[in-house]
Amino acid sequence: MQTRRMLASDLTDVLTIERASFPTPWTEGMFAEELARDDRVWLVAEDAPALLGFGGIMLAPDGAHVMDVAVAPDSRRDGTGRALMLALAREAAAGGAKRLTLEVRSANEAALGMYAQLGFESAGVRPGYYDETGEDAVIMWADTARLTAIGAAAGGRDLVLAIETSCDETAASVMRGGVEVLSSVVASQVDFHARFGGVVPEIASRKHTEAIVGVVDEALERAGVGFGDLDALGVTYGPGLIGALVVGVAYAKGLSLATGLPLVGVNHLEGHIFANRLADPELKTPLIALVVSGGHTSLIHVPEWGEYHTLGSTLDDATGEAFDKVAKLVGIGYPGGPAISRLAEQGDPAAIPFPRAMLHSGDYDFSLSGLKTAVLTYVRREQAAGREVHLPNLAASFQAAVIDVQVAKAVRAAAEYGVKDFCLGGGVAANVALREALKNALAANGVRLSVPPFALCTDNAAMIAAAAHFRLLKGGFLGLSAEATASLPLDG
Amino acid sequence: MKYILAFDAATEHVAIGIAGLGPDGYGTLAAVDFSAPRAALGELLPATHRLMESEGIAPADIAAVAVGRGPGSFTGVRIAVATAKGLAHGLGVPLAGLGTLDAVAWRFKDTTGLVGVVGDAMRGEVYPCLFRCANGECERLDEYDVAKPAAAAAAWAESLGEQVTLAGNGLVKYAEVFSAALGERMTIAPESMWTPTGASVVDAAFAGRYEPALVTALRTPEQASPGLLLPVYTRLSDAEEDEAKRAGTVPSTGVAGPRSGGNS
Repeated sequence: MQTRRMLASDLTDVLTIERASFPTPWTEGMFAEELARDDRVWLVAEDAPALLGFGGIMLAPDGAHVMDVAVAPDSRRDGTGRALMLALAREAAAGGAKRLTLEVRSANEAALGMYAQLGFESAGVRPGYYDETGEDAVIMWADTARLTAIGAAAGGRDLVLAIETSCDETAASVMRGGVEVLSSVVASQVDFHARFGGVVPEIASRKHTEAIVGVVDEALERAGVGFGDLDALGVTYGPGLIGALVVGVAYAKGLSLATGLPLVGVNHLEGHIFANRLADPELKTPLIALVVSGGHTSLIHVPEWGEYHTLGSTLDDATGEAFDKVAKLVGIGYPGGPAISRLAEQGDPAAIPFPRAMLHSGDYDFSLSGLKTAVLTYVRREQAAGREVHLPNLAASFQAAVIDVQVAKAVRAAAEYGVKDFCLGGGVAANVALREALKNALAANGVRLSVPPFALCTDNAAMIAAAAHFRLLKGGFLGLSAEATASLPLDG
Repeated sequence: MKYILAFDAATEHVAIGIAGLGPDGYGTLAAVDFSAPRAALGELLPATHRLMESEGIAPADIAAVAVGRGPGSFTGVRIAVATAKGLAHGLGVPLAGLGTLDAVAWRFKDTTGLVGVVGDAMRGEVYPCLFRCANGECERLDEYDVAKPAAAAAAWAESLGEQVTLAGNGLVKYAEVFSAALGERMTIAPESMWTPTGASVVDAAFAGRYEPALVTALRTPEQASPGLLLPVYTRLSDAEEDEAKRAGTVPSTGVAGPRSGGNS
């Protein structure tokens, strides 16, 4: 299907569709008069030679107004109306209109739903607007920049700048069409947090404020684009450290007002799931995702892209946090994940029987603080007895206790929901022992494990840009009054 | 006409001003201020947008942005600074700083005498700062600092030989501490004068001796690129303060910026 300008020779087909769509249709004379005016743009959607639908706008100084849109009965609900609206919006934007307005019958739920998905908002009701039925008209309006961005995304040519500041990495990425990474810049703060053995939220917030402009400049420069080339902005607005999120959201909103670029909100966990899709374009839903990082431990059922059911998550510490705390406890450095993982390679995972918390809880939740306490108790007992703690054995046994529970729950979730694909994401996905154990256990059940490359596992903005492209198609825009949400839910 | 956008959200009170810049100086064209406890992220930018629309000013008409760097609430300062960075970066215009306490002092530009601004630093402390106002201007006399209210009041009681007018949101909790120390020598301004207004943030921005100052930013924009500006915290992060306490030292700078406010 494609759209083009309406010609006088289209009028026969146009009238057929018009008559099939409205009780008091426009006449041929009315269309001819419209086509003759230079403040009008009329388009048709066709699957040559068949005409599927048409629509027209009036260009006025304060914005463009949709005069008429109709789709042939056989082509309704197959995206023709949406494609027409996006093409009309592009014409409106090209004509300098910042807003596109329209009236729709209040009972036309299919149309109302489509307009809502395109980011149209209701501006009021004209009671009894339609003479023939006495029905009310809902007046709706949308920002043409938003519609143009959706159109670019639908055509796979959208250029998006995404920003991520939910924890301790300041990141920006420029992406085309949701799949082509033009740049991905991450300014890590790990060295600033290292001596405190964990992320210090106040330091993270300060560092984001210092770094954000430079990181965005570098992302634009490496991609070879400027703000004027972009179609949209994306930003992580939760979940994460609130003070850190606030910096990215405030900056992105300022940028949006300054440039006129529409802003899309991204859930950080959806970003981690999209990191898998970015690295593995063949990946298909339904799938189960396990996101394990310094701030998150969640097992998520994804029946289709954009639909999420969190099956379980940690009741206390996140997995990466537990690694950091145990590493700090035995003084082997920060971040704890790589340090413990390295030591564990030389240790015996069965040496110390640490508890497998919630292994048989019957649900998909996790608990890691008890394990951390068990490690502490063990270390104290050994020290009190005058024995030296065998660090490699301790690291291997601790890691095994974490992995056993996560693998068991992952396998059970994959079986319960009958999925053939499983995604691992988040910084802890870098843990080789976890990857291997998960891969083998899932493979034994006929389930394929997808793990993105390390740079996409840890926090980055390329994954946020990939999710932003998807959110753009759904009209998931943030306005100037948008907030950051520390515990932003993924489900829904 | 060139337009300047200036705002502050370092306290629970948001203030936004738009100034026009002509050959004979600047004039505040539109101003708004409102209380927004814990709501600055949601309210600052919509209010800025409304103010611009009310004056018929498009984003592209703005020649420079000036923002309150604090000291104030750390999160509040960052909301304002990050918003300003996004605006200035997107517009390709310079970003200048202004002092939040200065914006309070400039409420008193039409008075003559000393003004003591007491900002609430939370955790039982205040940001005390003295200004001298005369001839329609206010000059800052102190570096930004953080202190216990009693210590700040005692220092002023000892050093001040003349009448002082007090203002600032730190007086909500500590007015009595200052009145006990200063007695007859002080007047507490009406509470409506304790917070910045859109006009006073514009005045403080143009008055600023702090880098990058607005006048410098307009003259040499490359010295005021939006990436350079930093908040004024006056305190290190708690983690660093605790670390310093344990080590028995007082570092002047931490990984997350300098302790003292300073001018840079």
